[in-house]
Amino acid sequence: MSLDPSFSGGRKYSNDEITVYWKPSACIHASYCYRELIEVFDPGRRPWVDMKGATTEKIIETINLCPTEALTWKWNDEAKNQSVGIDQSNHIRFRRPELLAQKSNVPEENPITVKIMIDGPIVLKGDFSLVYSGINKDFKEGIVSICRCGASDHQPFCDGQHRKIGFTG
Amino acid sequence: MEEITSGKSKTIIEVIDSGPLKISGNFILKDLKRVKETPMGEVLLCRCGKSSDKPFCDGSHKIK
Repeated sequence: MSLDPSFSGGRKYSNDEITVYWKPSACIHASYCYRELIEVFDPGRRPWVDMKGATTEKIIETINLCPTEALTWKWNDEAKNQSVGIDQSNHIRFRRPELLAQKSNVPEENPITVKIMIDGPIVLKGDFSLVYSGINKDFKEGIVSICRCGASDHQPFCDGQHRKIGFTG
Repeated sequence: MEEITSGKSKTIIEVIDSGPLKISGNFILKDLKRVKETPMGEVLLCRCGKSSDKPFCDGSHKIK
């Protein structure tokens, strides 16, 4: 675990094969990571990522579920990064062009998707207008998560409280 | 009903004060826990955690 000068505001974690990047400011608490692989991603533990908790294959599979760029990964062997396909959706090549100069086109979504996360928030993805507290904000290819448990301190947005209060639904 | 002059449908998400989330327009609903069909046009989603018809609002937020 160390800070990466090329990656401000985040942390990175490595095993022999891959490096995982964690960007907390991008997290919308969709909760795929700990639901899928608590052995590696445990929000109640410090550090919360344990690269020894599962196989590299399983870690990559779980990171690819993250709907934002809060979790991304790359091979430690740079040559291997060049041949990674778009099916590896959270490889930094597709999520972080600033870390690995390589462009890609993420397909646009229209209509928007409204995902109800298991025991978690509503995740909105696409082009939409969000109206709240007298504010009207337009999102283009945006991603926003809305609290569904009623306990968030940052209403109407999710702040991860659902996990602390043990929300089910 | 008013005509949409831009020709492009726009999805509006409205956070109703002390109430549900109203989604109107073009959207697909995916509930990862339950099998729910995407309702047409408009939907009200529970934000208080108390609805017995999740993910939809059933008015439970009004009961103290």
